Amino acid sequence: MNRACFLILLLGSLCSWSAASAQDVVLVANKGVRISEITNADLRAIFMGTKTRFADGSHAVPVILKGGPVHEVFLRNHIGEGPEEFRSDWRKVVFTGQGAMPKAFDSESALIEYVAATPGAVGYVSRISSQDGVKVLAAVK
Amino acid sequence: MSTRMHLLSRHLLLFLSVCACSVGSCTGTLYAQDLGGIVVHGFVSQGFLFSSNNNYLSMKSSDGSPQWTDAAVNISESLGDNLHVGMQFHMYQLGQFGGSNIMVDWASGDYRVNDHFGIRAGKVKTIWGLFNDSQDIDAVFLWILLPQGSYSIDHKSFYLAHVGGDVYGNFFLGKRAGTLHYVAYGGQATIDLNDGYIQTFAELGLVFTNSLGGKTYGGDLQWETPLRGLVLGSSGNWLAADGTAPAGSFHSPAYTVPSMYGKFSRGKVYLAGEYDRIPINATITVGPTVIPFVADGRSWFAMGSYRLTKKFQAGSYYSHYVNKAADTTQPANYSKDWVLSGRYDFNPYFYAKLEGHFLHGTNLGYYTSTNPNGLAPDSKMLAAKIGFSF
Repeated sequence: MNRACFLILLLGSLCSWSAASAQDVVLVANKGVRISEITNADLRAIFMGTKTRFADGSHAVPVILKGGPVHEVFLRNHIGEGPEEFRSDWRKVVFTGQGAMPKAFDSESALIEYVAATPGAVGYVSRISSQDGVKVLAAVK
Repeated sequence: MSTRMHLLSRHLLLFLSVCACSVGSCTGTLYAQDLGGIVVHGFVSQGFLFSSNNNYLSMKSSDGSPQWTDAAVNISESLGDNLHVGMQFHMYQLGQFGGSNIMVDWASGDYRVNDHFGIRAGKVKTIWGLFNDSQDIDAVFLWILLPQGSYSIDHKSFYLAHVGGDVYGNFFLGKRAGTLHYVAYGGQATIDLNDGYIQTFAELGLVFTNSLGGKTYGGDLQWETPLRGLVLGSSGNWLAADGTAPAGSFHSPAYTVPSMYGKFSRGKVYLAGEYDRIPINATITVGPTVIPFVADGRSWFAMGSYRLTKKFQAGSYYSHYVNKAADTTQPANYSKDWVLSGRYDFNPYFYAKLEGHFLHGTNLGYYTSTNPNGLAPDSKMLAAKIGFSF
């Protein structure tokens, strides 16, 4: 009985882990951005400040959320870092005079509004609606 | 309290007020202060040292000393897609070093033509090894003291920045080959009057009243390998220094400081190692006496850390330094340090650190003025820090 309970719990936790890991953010970009998909390597380079252009050559303006689960899922799934490491990496850039941190927003609605209005802007949210005026980018490995 | 410390307290109070105003005027979660396109960042940290046997870093650390304060604030603005300008003011007190002066840490204009080529000019942080340019930014590190054989905190002014320029860029070699990052620079480096080198010269009878320095140039090549998180790199820095004091002079012909390093960072794990060489063949002239100032410093370190929770990170490193130009069996000619460290982040802006050092040898960080009765070969030290960064 105990073993059966244990197996059920184990299966349950594995399923919930799979569901959690399957959750992802929606990558959004300004409608003027001509690409429709982006690699995780490019996302990482753009959000870490080493790359300033999309694959089509247009200027990229990364924007982030200040915190929260959507921010954490984006960093882990697409940048390969936790929020603490991401913050620390950017602190180093900012305090050594080697760049400017991406603009950060308190809310997804503020981020979407900025992305819709700013040429080259790229960010992430949990969901979008058809009225948001942004385009969705597909992430490829 | 000395006049110097009183002045420092006043400046620090002013600085903290600026920081507090910046924080107070922000709403929600704080990332930085954005004033219509001008972005403001800053940090403040306060340290405490307590050591057995010897007094470390010119403090009365054997009695416990809080004489360790760091603060900086920077403003920057992006002028268009490719041009970024900014400036950072920094003040620090480390025992008898630093002081009440607010210094320009860096001030530069940065024009990135494209991802392969950019130019940065002004007073620019010198990129060398894993940590040279960021060694005075406490908020970035788990460690309170970086490995002193490579990043000697009491000698940092000469190596930290140069007035001149950098060219830099990245080359993306494809999914299977990774990315290359390069920096090349040239300019003038200066030893500040409040630096440990000046204190050492004074203890040899040469008291400088003006800062000294010389030309510097060098570069760094870093390979972000296809194995995610693994970075390998190498740096070279060429430095010369000359200066004249009322009682004599200092002359150091150009010397090369090479560095090779690697780091691996993935998820909660961080591993890094570095090997450096600092060969100095200088002379100090005091009146008719010429004193050789010679060292062939070889240093390496290995470090590792693990993030145990979102707020707590722990790690350890071993730092090894020997002066090969002298008898390496004597404690005065080596410095070896086992370190255990922990950092707790109360929130994204406030943190506290605690660090234990097991020091063997006395080559680095000790001064006659605070150790008039000589030095014990081994010492233990506890360091604590609390800091704030936005």
